[in-house]
Amino acid sequence: MFQWLKTGAAALGIVAATALGAAAEDWKPAGPVKLMIAFAAGGGADTQARLIAEELEATLGWSFIPEQVTGKGGLNLAAAMKSEANDGTVIGMAVTETLGYNMAASNSGMTPADFTPITTTAGFQMGVVARSDKGWNTMADVVAAAKSGQDIRFGVMSPRLADLAYLLGKAQGVDFNIISVKGGKAVMNGVNAGDMDIGFMAGIQAKGVAAGDLVNLASALKAPLVQTPDAPTFADLGVEFSADGYFMFMGPAGMPDDARAALANAIKGVVENTETKAGGLIKKAFGGASVIMGGDLDAMVASDYASAGDLLKAASE
Amino acid sequence: MGPFYFFMTPNKFTAVIFLVFAIVVLGVWIPNDVETGLLEKMRRHWVIGDSLAPTLAAGFVLFGAALILLFEKRDEAQFTMAAAQFVFFLKLVIVILVALSVMRHLGPILINTYAAISGLELEYRLLRDVIGVKHIGFLIGGMIMIGGMIAVVEGRLSHRALVIGLIWSLVLILVYDLPFEDLLLPPNGDV
Amino acid sequence: MSVLDYIWLGILAVFQGPEAFSIFGLAISITVIMVISGFFLGILVGATPGLAGPVAMAISLPILISTFGYNTDALLPVLGFLIGVMKGATVGGAVPAILFNTPGTPDAFMTTLDGYPMAKRGEAKRALRIAHFSSVSGDTFSDLVLIIGAPFLAIMVERYLDLPEKTALLILSLSFISAVVGGSVGRGLISTGLGLLAVYVGTGEDFYPRLSVGTQTLAQGFPISTSVLGVLIIGAVFKELDDLRSDQRASRMKPITTSDTNSALTLAERIKLAPTIFRSAVIGTVVGALPGIGSTLAATLGYTAAKRRHDDAEGGKFGEGVPKGIAATEAANSAVSGANLMPVLSLGIPGNAAAVFLLLAMDSISGFNPSPTVFKFDPVNLNPELVMAFGIFTTMFLANALNWTVGGRVMRSMGFMIRIPKHILLPSVLLLTLTAIYVQETRIEALYFALGFGVLGYLMRVFGISPLPFVIAFILGAKLEETARQAYAATGNDPWFLFTHPIAAVFVALSVGVMILTSRKRGSV
Repeated sequence: MFQWLKTGAAALGIVAATALGAAAEDWKPAGPVKLMIAFAAGGGADTQARLIAEELEATLGWSFIPEQVTGKGGLNLAAAMKSEANDGTVIGMAVTETLGYNMAASNSGMTPADFTPITTTAGFQMGVVARSDKGWNTMADVVAAAKSGQDIRFGVMSPRLADLAYLLGKAQGVDFNIISVKGGKAVMNGVNAGDMDIGFMAGIQAKGVAAGDLVNLASALKAPLVQTPDAPTFADLGVEFSADGYFMFMGPAGMPDDARAALANAIKGVVENTETKAGGLIKKAFGGASVIMGGDLDAMVASDYASAGDLLKAASE
Repeated sequence: MGPFYFFMTPNKFTAVIFLVFAIVVLGVWIPNDVETGLLEKMRRHWVIGDSLAPTLAAGFVLFGAALILLFEKRDEAQFTMAAAQFVFFLKLVIVILVALSVMRHLGPILINTYAAISGLELEYRLLRDVIGVKHIGFLIGGMIMIGGMIAVVEGRLSHRALVIGLIWSLVLILVYDLPFEDLLLPPNGDV
Repeated sequence: MSVLDYIWLGILAVFQGPEAFSIFGLAISITVIMVISGFFLGILVGATPGLAGPVAMAISLPILISTFGYNTDALLPVLGFLIGVMKGATVGGAVPAILFNTPGTPDAFMTTLDGYPMAKRGEAKRALRIAHFSSVSGDTFSDLVLIIGAPFLAIMVERYLDLPEKTALLILSLSFISAVVGGSVGRGLISTGLGLLAVYVGTGEDFYPRLSVGTQTLAQGFPISTSVLGVLIIGAVFKELDDLRSDQRASRMKPITTSDTNSALTLAERIKLAPTIFRSAVIGTVVGALPGIGSTLAATLGYTAAKRRHDDAEGGKFGEGVPKGIAATEAANSAVSGANLMPVLSLGIPGNAAAVFLLLAMDSISGFNPSPTVFKFDPVNLNPELVMAFGIFTTMFLANALNWTVGGRVMRSMGFMIRIPKHILLPSVLLLTLTAIYVQETRIEALYFALGFGVLGYLMRVFGISPLPFVIAFILGAKLEETARQAYAATGNDPWFLFTHPIAAVFVALSVGVMILTSRKRGSV
């Protein structure tokens, strides 16, 4: 009963609050926030999203209703979100690749202009990973094995990564057997079970690498990996593209600036604080938060979308 | 024998239906509603396209139907569906459909009506955390579903049936909704 | 880390897990509580005509997940509860079969043949005791085989099965199910094909969600809960209501009360039943270990085997109230559940509806991924999945212990459940099922999907097409496609990978063989 009175009163208060068009610091959602999650329930990314929501509920008193909208590299989430309310009561967590490569490669009719990017939370620590008992220490060992006639199975979890794996092989003069699976966890399971020899992992490998079971053979990023700084980058290996990408919160197009800024700042506060569960998780898997928001994020999304065509073209040759 | 099987044994009837279905899937649905073919050239390699798996699936249906037509049409196990049975079944389905649409729309309609009368700016979507408001659709929809189905079986609508439906809906609210903040009852995930 | 260490850690994980409460300073772990509650719920559900274990498992899964979360900590309490339900329902299923001539669960149908005549003779309680004793014996036997067999199976899988072989094994499982469970090979194939087709909607590798007719509604495909619960539960609800309409048996027949006084089973009687129970337990275990065939077939085989060996001169004819008839059925159908977990744990292939829900729980909760790596006895680094596996085994034995001690008494007190009128129970089950689906999927379309699958499940039942191949195909379909794609890529795009790898080729040959053999056998009847 008490809850009823409280929320009822709050709901009526909303009318007044929205009418005033308050500034970002004063902004709060007009009701419960629907949080769409583009990742399978129970995985690392899903946990990240839920923990962020939990923390915001605890500190700001906002209410979140998490919901899984998985599949098609975030495009299912995008399509479901497109027509939802844009007042900040519907947000979603996907990856920058969703509005970049995936949207460009599909003919879904959607463009990044249909969405409001809010903020990134963490950058992928995308490595090419093998089980350490394979005896490979760096990418050169894998290439040598491939050149000596061994079939190398390369696990990937998205079409963009499949393109990159193909280009890596091409640059090194070998032909990988590229196996695509659903999600980073599936790549790790495949590598661990011996179904794949190497695979892309975006941070999930941190624990295994620390324990010595797995080894980062290369960084698929422009920069070296935090955990294995000595591993060569894709640029070192002759690939002009990289797998740089981020987990990203977004909303439907036309979200008011105060809502966008308030949401972004609230999320930033959680992920950058390693004392919170979400912040701790991000620190452990990705070496710390990477928060990009506002105009910087708009620019990054636009350039990712525009440059996707180059990668698609290179990988088709 | 039921009304559907004109000049066939029921088994043959079943087989023909699935045969036609499989042919439509293979000939119309898959070619027009899947992006890639059986095999697809990607990154200079042939890979399995998205059409292959559904084609095999429809192939199983086709093959199964053909087996029945060729070898099992006079099988001892023949099944029928009489007109009375069909009508009974249809009534059940209609009751459920009505109940589901009440479940989905009752809450929003009530709030919109109230908003129009009172002049307040209210939206069901923003009130779906409020106890009572968020339950009304499920409660009434659930009552209609259970009460209606009991009525279809008993052949008359009794107060007792509706009360049972109301109580059971209430029990489900107590089990699913009140203890768990993250669980949503219909229609609160849709709005 | 020796084998014994792993076993011990598994046991500790159950008994020393997060505690629910403590009695006199003795901490009672939440897992133990969950197994106990699951077990009693299972008996209750099994004893209710029209309900079966999988219904209760399906409906409690979303509640369990939202209570315990997706973390590894949730695994043992959730699986413990589901295992409890599974085992309780197996025992409970005999109650309405014996007292009411209506099997509480489909696999208890054969129990009615001798159980009901015994009850009519005034030996209801005795029949229930026999059912309980045989069921528990069969169950325990099967669990022992599971624990000893699963690690070996995993080693074989790991050593011999690469991606092409795994693809072939999935094909074999599906063709086995189509041929054996489907009613006839043709019907089984239709059921399997429809299940595969349904799971391929909206999925796939392309960015365009295939077969979605351009709609957002179908783009995410059919959620697994809508198809499985729709076909299995909602379809059954329709069928049962229909049966209720067509025969008024339910209203005319009075349930038999359990009033016989001298119902105890002597040791001599138990020993006399032992060979029958053992034979059926072996049959049930073997059937259970094969992917895809359920407990109903095991019960039939067990009953038939016992009937063939039975001498009518001693103890009357089968079907007229022979204790051995009950024992043969109950031992066989109960022995399925343990062995059924072998393909589940090491391959992720479910054998029956109960296993389907255990697998769904394992998929949703992180930290346990059914595969051969589960059984890797790593002497240096702790393999947490192996500990979990032994934890799961411990919950099974905990449920068995309950079953041996109090199960019989609880089961015999369940006679009242058969008084709940079906035409009230079934609509209530329907609303419960739809609610369970909605809280998982949170969109109303899911309920329309479920209703659609319910209609399909009903029509399949009417036309004699078993819905089980549909369900298993739906569950394995995505895995089949993915494994095939991966095998094709892994073999360097060899289109003949199913035939160039000897073990895969054998599996494929067996798949075809099973089809031909079953259709021949049926043709000759």
